[in-house]
Amino acid sequence: MSALLRHAAASLTLNFRNRMALIYGYLFPLMFLLAFWAVYRHDRTPLAQHMGAILTITALGSACFGLPTTLVSERERGVWRRYRLTPTPTWVFLVSILAVRYLLLLTAALIQLGLALALGMSFPAHPLGLLVAFTFTAIAFMGLGLVIAMVADNVPAVQALGQCIFLPMLMIGGVAVQLSSLPNWAQHVSALFPGRYAVQALQAAVSGRGLGAVQFELLALLLIGVAGLVAAMKMFRWEPGRLTSRNNQSWILLALTTWLAVGLLAEWQGRIITQPSAAQGEMVTQVGPAADYRTPMSRTPASWHDVTQADIANVAFERLPPDNGVIAPIAALSEEPDPAAVGQLDIVRSGLANWTPAKVTDPVQRSRNLLYVAAVPDLLQMGDIERFLPAIVLGRLRQSIPPADLPKVLYWVALHPQDGDDAALGELKTLGLPGVSGPTRRDARGRVMLYAFKLLARTSGGKTSE
Amino acid sequence: MTLKVDVRNLSKAYGPLQAVANVSFEVAAGEVFGLLGPNGAGKTTTLESLLGLIEPDAGEIEICAIDARRHPAAAKAKIGAILQSTGLQDKITPREAMYLFAGLYGCRGDSTALLTRFGLASTADAAFDTLSGGQKQRLALAVAFVNDPEVIILDEPTASLDPQMRRKLHDHIRRMRAEGRTVLLSTHDMEEAEQLCDRVAVLARGRIVAQGRPAEMIARARSTTMVSVQTSAPLAAAPSLIHAEGIVLDEAGIHFTTTHFNAVLAELLAILDEQSIAITALRSERDTLEDVVLELTTRRDT
Repeated sequence: MSALLRHAAASLTLNFRNRMALIYGYLFPLMFLLAFWAVYRHDRTPLAQHMGAILTITALGSACFGLPTTLVSERERGVWRRYRLTPTPTWVFLVSILAVRYLLLLTAALIQLGLALALGMSFPAHPLGLLVAFTFTAIAFMGLGLVIAMVADNVPAVQALGQCIFLPMLMIGGVAVQLSSLPNWAQHVSALFPGRYAVQALQAAVSGRGLGAVQFELLALLLIGVAGLVAAMKMFRWEPGRLTSRNNQSWILLALTTWLAVGLLAEWQGRIITQPSAAQGEMVTQVGPAADYRTPMSRTPASWHDVTQADIANVAFERLPPDNGVIAPIAALSEEPDPAAVGQLDIVRSGLANWTPAKVTDPVQRSRNLLYVAAVPDLLQMGDIERFLPAIVLGRLRQSIPPADLPKVLYWVALHPQDGDDAALGELKTLGLPGVSGPTRRDARGRVMLYAFKLLARTSGGKTSE
Repeated sequence: MTLKVDVRNLSKAYGPLQAVANVSFEVAAGEVFGLLGPNGAGKTTTLESLLGLIEPDAGEIEICAIDARRHPAAAKAKIGAILQSTGLQDKITPREAMYLFAGLYGCRGDSTALLTRFGLASTADAAFDTLSGGQKQRLALAVAFVNDPEVIILDEPTASLDPQMRRKLHDHIRRMRAEGRTVLLSTHDMEEAEQLCDRVAVLARGRIVAQGRPAEMIARARSTTMVSVQTSAPLAAAPSLIHAEGIVLDEAGIHFTTTHFNAVLAELLAILDEQSIAITALRSERDTLEDVVLELTTRRDT
């Protein structure tokens, strides 16, 4: 016991004396949090929705870089060789390494959470669940980190291997980019990395329904972690130099097989593709069909003239993404645009008076064309102006379509997103706005639909999601 | 005689290279035993097998009557070792290192006394990477003593030391022997072995080619002594000495080589006595252990 405690105490002391370890272990996660906060500041997206990803990145960095870097550099300078001359068994050192790393991870995460709360994040919904989810995440990544330490011959190799895992996991592993924003193939790939399970488990504890909803994810993390730990223990290397022995290679194979099995299990259970659910409101990042926003029982009017108040009342406005989210945002009335964006908004406002697509005779097509002015900047995430354009578009719609007709027209546009032409996309440049082409045109239609619904709510007195 | 180290038929191969072949030796309690031989002779492989760093292919190792291959932890607890290829973390201090290793050996030694003994009292709280080479070496010694070892194993301990540090280390090793500890060291410095070791084993190509007390080995080896004798008057003719070879006579005296120093001296004295000539000076140059080892290790090469 004294061997374990003294080794752990020495490791902790030395970690806090190592400037690089402190920067990577503590400062880097805080900078990452601030970057996230800064990037999403204007979107009014609560930090809580990204906390799963942020905590995952912290664990990932510390376990995939910090842990193996320390271990391999000690091994290279003969410290582990010296340890091996002592009667202390291997497992004591491994337990010490893991306990110390867990402590470092936990403190880094707590400091990160503290800063997030100071920046205005709401308190995690399930604090104890968060601790459990974070522990499982730590186990998975520490297993990964130990395997890297055993496979890498030197510190540069740790960096190279770590990046090979770090970057794909961030980009297509469901960590930095939300799963539902990824193409299907990437979601299948992500099932092989622990990142997505970590994000989902942590997010469920921070802002979701708790750990009950993510039992599979916890199991996946545990399996990945234990496979890594077992393989690392079997491959444990005291000596500096090159990785040899066929035995070692078979243990790596065991770890890889387990990780593959977890991915296949997820496939088999049909857990790979994350379908955005409109009912979840805040988490929506993809746009579903128009039928999602209407009660199924409602009748279908024959033309826009035929639309009744009852039809409009059947729209499920509460399912629309929130105005302060990423999808189809609308600025609150009290909100002022950034001074730098005012000029651009003025160009759009004055340009609309003479914009050819806003003068076509068919009021439905005219509305559709005008809605593109809000839809495309939203699709392109033009953070400074996207939230303010809907109000300008609404003002133009009110001027060009009689008040009695406007709700009916908007209802028709919203329920027929695939109708009409999108030639107006090519005219956006005359307003100083970028256009879109190719398959993105379909996405633009989805945003037109959402804004049609949202402006319908404002013109018909229907419920808004504000 | 209590055996502290007993190695029987130790063998270890790395692929086609037989690093150690059938090596056997014993070290008694309180002895300083040297493993001699050129680089690559198998000294380090032998020592690392004893320390549990290398799994030998065959052979038995007993440390303090403990089967080191079956009970490595118990054997390690008896040994203090200094290897060239071990190190400590840059930012650890000598005091912290002593505390850590005392924990790893499961003992509560007096680390302050050890730091003082090895001249580290004033640098006990300095980071490892700020210590001088000599201080690092002494810290390695202090750490090796943390478990109050019965057997001390040193792999080429003086290889990278300057003459002054080397002398100090020799003093430390003599003190270990005086304390009744058993010391097993490897070196390729024959002078060092001759000065320090009670017994040595000479390794060449993984095999022990000679074993014994340094002085005996020198005597036993078919090595020659060069003798120069200065006489009070010149000899008329070269004397016929049965035990001498290469006799040269000049104005300074008589020179020859011999493998039987005492016998040849007796012969010479008898001849000089007859002629009433006195010896005014006598100089002899005996082979050193280095010459012996060189001869032993190269003889097998041919």
